[in-house]
Amino acid sequence: MKELKDYREEIERCVRCGTCRSVCPTLDTVRRESHCARGRLAMIEAYLNGEELGERYLKYIKECTLCGACYTSCPNEINTPEIILSARAEYVKKKGMPAFTSFTLKSLLEPAPLTKLALKVAAKLKSLFFKSTPFESGLVSRFSLPVVGEGRLVPEPADPFFLDRAHIRRLATREDYGRMKVGFFVGCGVNYLLPSIGEHTIRVLEKAGINVAVPQGQVCCGIPALSMGDSETAKRVMMKNIEVFEQYGFDRIVTSCATCGHTLKDIFKVVLSDEQGMKERVEAFTSKIRDITEFLVDELDYRGEKTDKRAGVVTYHDPCHLRRFQGISEQPRKLLEESPYEFRGMKNPCRCCGLGGGVSFTNYELSMKIAGRKAENIKKSGADVVATACPGCIVQLKDALYHHDVKARVVHVVELL
Amino acid sequence: MLSEPVKRELTRIVAPENISFQPEDLLCYSYDATGRRYLPECVLFPHTAEEVSLILKMANAEGIPVVPRGAGTGFTGGSLPLRGGIVLSTERMTTIEIDTDNMVGVAGAGTVTWDFAQKAESVGLFYPPDPTSLKVSTIGGNIAECAGGPRGLKYGVTKDYVLAVEVVLPTGELIKTAPGKTFKGVVGYNLTGLITGSEGTLGVVTRAWLKLLPLPEEKRLLVATFDTLERAGKTVIEIIKAGGFLPSALELIDGVCLKAVDEYAKMGLGGVGAAIIVEADGRREVVDLDMEEARDICHRMGASSVDVAKDEKRMKELWSLRRAISPALKRVGSLKLNEDVVVPRTEIVELIRGIEGISRKRDVTIASFGHAGDGNIHVNIMVNKDDPEEVERGEASVGDLFELTLRLGGTISGEHGVGITKSDYIGMELNRDTLELMMRLKRAFDPNNILNPGKIFKEEGVGV
Repeated sequence: MKELKDYREEIERCVRCGTCRSVCPTLDTVRRESHCARGRLAMIEAYLNGEELGERYLKYIKECTLCGACYTSCPNEINTPEIILSARAEYVKKKGMPAFTSFTLKSLLEPAPLTKLALKVAAKLKSLFFKSTPFESGLVSRFSLPVVGEGRLVPEPADPFFLDRAHIRRLATREDYGRMKVGFFVGCGVNYLLPSIGEHTIRVLEKAGINVAVPQGQVCCGIPALSMGDSETAKRVMMKNIEVFEQYGFDRIVTSCATCGHTLKDIFKVVLSDEQGMKERVEAFTSKIRDITEFLVDELDYRGEKTDKRAGVVTYHDPCHLRRFQGISEQPRKLLEESPYEFRGMKNPCRCCGLGGGVSFTNYELSMKIAGRKAENIKKSGADVVATACPGCIVQLKDALYHHDVKARVVHVVELL
Repeated sequence: MLSEPVKRELTRIVAPENISFQPEDLLCYSYDATGRRYLPECVLFPHTAEEVSLILKMANAEGIPVVPRGAGTGFTGGSLPLRGGIVLSTERMTTIEIDTDNMVGVAGAGTVTWDFAQKAESVGLFYPPDPTSLKVSTIGGNIAECAGGPRGLKYGVTKDYVLAVEVVLPTGELIKTAPGKTFKGVVGYNLTGLITGSEGTLGVVTRAWLKLLPLPEEKRLLVATFDTLERAGKTVIEIIKAGGFLPSALELIDGVCLKAVDEYAKMGLGGVGAAIIVEADGRREVVDLDMEEARDICHRMGASSVDVAKDEKRMKELWSLRRAISPALKRVGSLKLNEDVVVPRTEIVELIRGIEGISRKRDVTIASFGHAGDGNIHVNIMVNKDDPEEVERGEASVGDLFELTLRLGGTISGEHGVGITKSDYIGMELNRDTLELMMRLKRAFDPNNILNPGKIFKEEGVGV
């Protein structure tokens, strides 16, 4: 993986024009220069030059959602999100990671039997920690919990986890794959929190003539670890995924998570390409990755049944990792046109929901303030349903809508097909 | 160095969460778009004019330099804390009120110009000043620098819209320069006009009353390309002379800029000699006729291509391309000596010829673009910052350019101000008596020279 100093030329390309200030969701909320790409790049440049910086350096580079809005608007095309990931990794390498974060991450990303057991016990005892909500299915923490924090709405953990379900285990291989040999990369959001997205992904693919396989042994995509600066764990889980999927010889690997998709397509290359003998394997793996909406529209030409659109009004939120990093924005909207819902756009659909880059964990308050803007725009759209294409965004939007008392359901596009 | 009691008092004035002495924050307020860096000792984020007043009273008593700052997008160093001290950020002063019936908007200094303009648009009103940085820069910064923009040709610049400002003087008094909601007013000196464009040296603007116009019904835009810059320049003059309308923007872009920005925008303009953008606004029936006229003139003047934007999306694309030019020039040279001279419109072609001459004589790359319709050209002398000899040739070219501009009856800065980057040259344009008067004004406002010291004027004769 490239080191921070390898980005020096790119960092120095910043002319301090400040264009990023007009698009950054954190600047919009905090209104301080420390919360935009220009400020963060200035700090990283100073860090590289060996200037004395304190605790706030870490805070500011952690409070970036990695949404990429600065990158796509930058006249000098500086990939600040990638540079920030590298700066975080560099910091952790030098100073180590706070013990707790490291423990939680590792146990979630590479679950040992004991962790799984602990999660399951927690699920049974959930009423002790959480109150359930009347409108959306979900849980609100009663008091401050590690990682979760106080007052956060989280979906009820999947029980059992998606990958552990008996009928999913039976899909580890397929006798007849249908139109193409396709594998499903599940991702943590779907596996632990929103299994129904996984069920619907399989169903919709079957409708389109694809009998998708769900390989066992697949793990987290690695981005949560990398976001926290833990590049070693990230590297390990990424390798593991390549090994698992390689054995099948798939034509395509689909995911219904925008973040996993971006990681599998792009970040795998950043992290693994200069590992010994990995370049071609990574290339082969990443070239097969498709987001479910991209795959359905571009390759399967998905068509829904004709309906009179009376199911309600749906609006769409663009996940940053889908629109900016994968260039996918038309496909999910096309799919919604094929749904029984009437489509109505919202203002600023591509403004970040605030969850990304670990900000939801490093500064929940900031994350929720960013999400608040989103909730307002959703409310103004008057939609009954918000569709998006990323479990992370879904978790965040559910939380934000709950706290802003906006009565709209939040779903993945595939759940409406 | 700020003493402990001073630090405590400042903290008390704005509350602990609105002040920082941390190195990371100081770093973030040490630069602007000049790319130069001067570290302050403290950054303050006041919310009200009263807080600003207390800060300045204290700074004046203690002799601490104070530098007001909006979004830090200036090109001449207006917001750089040359001598350390306090950076006073207006980022938290972001109120907007629109009085629709009187067609006046009232904005806090830290309001982003774009946000203000959008708010006005939402009730059918129009705030014309549109500096290229409008999505980032603030009303306060725009007033301090008297920002212009492409619309200057038809609509004028920031000063033409400022009806009154609430301003804190360097000695701490809070004044309002005019009633605010009247479009006329001649009681006493025109302090509004004096503060506007004073580069944050006479007072800290905290709020402004701004004139609004009815929002034009429609806009049309065309882009025409030419084989030479000179031909494009001649077309600009011809459109104004013979077009029968005043374009809402008339921009000129040379081949160097087109190449640089095309690497980012990839719109196939890379190999073109020069281009102009013509925008017309007004009633639907009229703008279509205006565009036809402009198109005919472009063809008559020998344009290689004329492309009328079909829809709003395409217009937005073309404007964002235009806005990306300045930063994208980084691709041409690592150091950009960025000037914004203005000449009487009829001298544009002479100016272009002269610039080409300087580029040849000094052997430097010069990238020119800008609001040619009002004679304002952004001349960017691009050099390699690691080559001292080339930098020297670049700096000599700046002198040549200013000489040329003044010879043609122009001014050395149309929009960016003097700041620190042009203070060496101010004497070329202003004679001794004029400069003396300006310095006397500065001393009258700021007897202890605490507000944005070291800007506009070179040291001697200013302050104490």
